[in-house]
Amino acid sequence: MMRVSALPLSLKVPLIAAGMMVLVGIVASQQVMTSLGAVQEERLRELARLHVDGLAIALGPAVLRRDVWEVYDTLDRATQAMAGQRLVLTVVADDTGRVIAASDPTRAPVDSSLQPLMQDAQAVNDILLTEAAPHVRVLSDLAYQGRTVGKILSELDVADLIDERRRVRLWLLAGNTFATLILAFGGYLAMRRMLRPISDLAAHMARAEGAPGPIPADRIPEGDTELRRLFQTFNAMTGAAAAKAEVERRLAERERFVSLGRLSSSLAHEINNPLGGLLNAADTIRTYADRPEVVRDSVDLLDRGLRHLRDVARVTLEQNRLDREGLPLKREDFDDLKLLFAPETTRLSQSLDWKIEAASDAMSRLPAAAVRQIALNLLLNASTAAGDHGTVGCSVTERDEELCLSVWDTGSGLPDEARRRLLSDEAVMPGGGVGLRLVRDLVRGLGGRIDYFRSPERSTVQITLPLAGPAPC
Amino acid sequence: MDRRLFLGFAGAALAAPALSRAAEPVRLGLTPVFLDNDAEVILRLREALGEGTGRQIELVQKRTYQEVTGLLLEGGVDAAWLCGFPFLQHEDALSLLGVPVWQGAPLYRSYLIVGAADDAIDLADLEGGTHAFSDPDSNSGWLVTASDLARMGRRPDEFFQRSLFTFGHRNVVRAVAGGLTRSGSVDGYVWEALAKVEPALTARTKVLSRSEELGFPPFVARREMTGEDAVVALRSALHSLAETVSGRAALDLLQLDAITPGDVSLFEGIRQRMRAIAS
Repeated sequence: MMRVSALPLSLKVPLIAAGMMVLVGIVASQQVMTSLGAVQEERLRELARLHVDGLAIALGPAVLRRDVWEVYDTLDRATQAMAGQRLVLTVVADDTGRVIAASDPTRAPVDSSLQPLMQDAQAVNDILLTEAAPHVRVLSDLAYQGRTVGKILSELDVADLIDERRRVRLWLLAGNTFATLILAFGGYLAMRRMLRPISDLAAHMARAEGAPGPIPADRIPEGDTELRRLFQTFNAMTGAAAAKAEVERRLAERERFVSLGRLSSSLAHEINNPLGGLLNAADTIRTYADRPEVVRDSVDLLDRGLRHLRDVARVTLEQNRLDREGLPLKREDFDDLKLLFAPETTRLSQSLDWKIEAASDAMSRLPAAAVRQIALNLLLNASTAAGDHGTVGCSVTERDEELCLSVWDTGSGLPDEARRRLLSDEAVMPGGGVGLRLVRDLVRGLGGRIDYFRSPERSTVQITLPLAGPAPC
Repeated sequence: MDRRLFLGFAGAALAAPALSRAAEPVRLGLTPVFLDNDAEVILRLREALGEGTGRQIELVQKRTYQEVTGLLLEGGVDAAWLCGFPFLQHEDALSLLGVPVWQGAPLYRSYLIVGAADDAIDLADLEGGTHAFSDPDSNSGWLVTASDLARMGRRPDEFFQRSLFTFGHRNVVRAVAGGLTRSGSVDGYVWEALAKVEPALTARTKVLSRSEELGFPPFVARREMTGEDAVVALRSALHSLAETVSGRAALDLLQLDAITPGDVSLFEGIRQRMRAIAS
């Protein structure tokens, strides 16, 4: 059974409104019934009062004389005159409670005790109407010439009043049910109409799939309403989100240059170091131009040096090629990375443990650009963490339709801030760079996952990428 | 006929002399013991007697026979419609003007009645019950039952657990029919008349026993007044009541045939019951 809290707003609000109306209906009905009961009881009290007062005037002398016939005659005539009306029985007793006469002597014979009939009898001013019995008994003193000369007990037929109550209750129930249903249905429709923009907004946000776009102007409610302001705020937020995404994209783009920038010093050394040898070779050729064996050796040296420079230039260019999107990953990409990264380790006197064991077929099912960027960022981070004379390792293996890229170092481990950037979606503190967050975004884009292990001597970041393509994170 | 009235009248006709309208009205005493206060019967009776006497008729109604008898004896009325019992009680002071004829004779009976479902079979079975009499000066409504009890060596006040007077024969029937009392003593003429006009009332009662025929309640006047114009005129009007249209209408309402001059010997049965009481 669906919980109420799980119901949509467009159903819950009308239901609450209907519930409130039912509650109001019940309270109103109760008020009506209470008022009706009070009116009926007051009417009954008035009737009983008039009856008793009238009889007291008519019967006083006869009761004083204990004139059975006079009392009976009066009661009988009154009963005949009121045949079919409310009074069912009237019994007149003397001051000792002995019956003088009753309108129905078979129920209260002359000289019998009034006591049995007095049970359940109520005072005139305290008459209460219950639905338990169709008759109400009323007991009153019969006063004549200022003193009590007897008692009058009347039995009133209240079946019609009880029927009236039942009828009113039934009509109230039926009427309230009908009115509640109508109003609840109307309320449901009205609420649905009022909440439709909210539903539209929710549907729009659901369709946005993490990249919310602005709601078209023709879908924004008219007037200066809360909903209109809400829609406008939403549109403003989507603009801000788009701008933020654009900023992030640009930052990521810049990151590639940043990583290269960090390598520029090493690359400069990588170019500068052979340059001395190459210039010496040129001088040697110039000096010993007439010695073919020396020239040949110097040319070989020049050739190797220039080829190395060409490779360095190529991988640098390769890392920044703009048309590399969509190219499959190859084993050579890791060779390029090693060529690009190795000088950095050399500069820091670090050891590099490089193991590329995954098959080329498996690698080709992943995009080259993203994986290269992931690996380069992690390697640069590991190199920084490892410090001088540390060790940095990189391994690429394949298992169960997954490519596993592990980058480790012997540094002191990822600081908390760096770990948050890599392993969570928490907002990044400004000024901290975006390299690790870029790794997280790229891995997520490839449907992979990131694990971080810390042992006493090394920290390992393990990237697992599915070969079957992106799957939901 | 939807009257709820009873009683009878008698009358002999007299060619109504065109007497002066200014003459003294004739005052006739009545009691609801027989005649329940039915406006139409009162009106018709007054019209008929007025036409018959040529005088205005003043009907003086009292609650009990005692009151009417007292009024008659002291001259408060010229004549009265009494029961045979008070007539005999004051026989030396009163004289007959006429006796109503019911079902062909100036006679009627007293009925002892009980509730329709009562299983009593005679008066003795009613001992310890409640009983309704009509009037202590009524022959059929008290004397007959009291004398029957006297012949049994009993008195009403100790034979019945409670007895009461309703001052009307119809009231006796109401008391028994309504269950106020177990039994009642009632004028047989009234009960029979009621059986026609209010059968639902008498159906709730049944006649346990009927007395012998007794003289019907008569119209009487003081002996010294019998020669007075008013009384003479009234006697004539009563005797001729059945011969006039208005008189006939009044008699029909009362379910009577006529009013005959009658004779005191009609009341011999009542006299005997009075003796039973006295002894």
